[in-house]
Amino acid sequence: MTDFDLDRLQHVWRQQPDAQELERLQRSAAAVARRARYARILDFAAAALVSVVVIVLVWSKPRLEPLLMGGAAILILLASNARQRSLRRIELKGLTGTTEDMLDQSIERIEKTIRHNRLTLMAIAPTFLVAFLFAATAVETSGPLFGPLQGSPLLRLLWLGGWSAALIGLVVVLALAIRRGRRELERLTSMRESYRREHEFGERD
Amino acid sequence: MTAQGTSTAGTDDGSGNGTIPPFERIVADYGGLISRIAMSYEADPTLREDLTQQIFLAVWQSLPSYRADASLKTFIAKVAQNRSISFVTRQVRQPPIAEIPEKLQADELNPEEAAMRDNERKVLLEATRRLPLPQRQVIILVLEGFSYAEIGEMLDIAPNALALRLSRAKTALKSMLEQTR
Repeated sequence: MTDFDLDRLQHVWRQQPDAQELERLQRSAAAVARRARYARILDFAAAALVSVVVIVLVWSKPRLEPLLMGGAAILILLASNARQRSLRRIELKGLTGTTEDMLDQSIERIEKTIRHNRLTLMAIAPTFLVAFLFAATAVETSGPLFGPLQGSPLLRLLWLGGWSAALIGLVVVLALAIRRGRRELERLTSMRESYRREHEFGERD
Repeated sequence: MTAQGTSTAGTDDGSGNGTIPPFERIVADYGGLISRIAMSYEADPTLREDLTQQIFLAVWQSLPSYRADASLKTFIAKVAQNRSISFVTRQVRQPPIAEIPEKLQADELNPEEAAMRDNERKVLLEATRRLPLPQRQVIILVLEGFSYAEIGEMLDIAPNALALRLSRAKTALKSMLEQTR
């Protein structure tokens, strides 16, 4: 390909979108920016609202319980904001850094997610078993909560069916998430390999 | 430097010395660049619309971190490319690669230059999408008119490695484009 060809291709490539397309792009971008601004305002408003409610509660009833509850609510809010900021910082670093750094970060993220999902999957069986044994004991020893279950085999069956369905549902959701994660990991790894090959190729020659 | 979408002072002149223009101005100036980058990564129109919106959001979010050590155009192209790559890796299916038409259809051979250009552009886009990612990145940036120095800096690769990658990309692109003739 001659440079002349490249010049021509550049010309073909850089055709501006028509006026209609440009207008659509501008509308789309304006909507995105507006939504992002609203989300930011909403975050701030929610934090302000929680703080005001806590202050009013503590002010009107200066007791230990509202103080503890309010303090916990504010702490949760702060922790959530800090996490959001940290995630945004990581994402930003990925966006403005090199592609290989971004791929490395993405691989690390997806590996963590897969590991977490696997552990959750493994923990499901013992957790459900303990919960089931606990509930079965509670039903036998009775109590106001499980009273109706004692006298009705149908209710017991429904109760058991509900738990089983929830268990199966959770397993399926996690298994699908793991499979999706593996596919993403394969693609990311293959992309990173393709970059490494290019580097090796560049260094060799 | 001012907050996103609120700055009114100055515009980026491509030299890296300017301030950040308002977001609306950025979209007007670089909307075409963003749209072309999205097109070169995603062939499905619905997903492409989603990708374009994600790029706009990424640009909006990352603007405060822009330092004028490179041009705004370079910064936007880098963000757009990185967002596009992470977008296509998240798709469960393989990125759709439409077949390049073996021959241009007779009814597509419109005598008007605009129609021919449009057809050529489609073929060029499809060929670009088929390139391996590192080569695709380089060729897109070259087609967008970035200098080799800017591309090297953007992709963090040495000039000789860039030259080799570009040469391979050109060869692959040429071969694919020749198949369509």
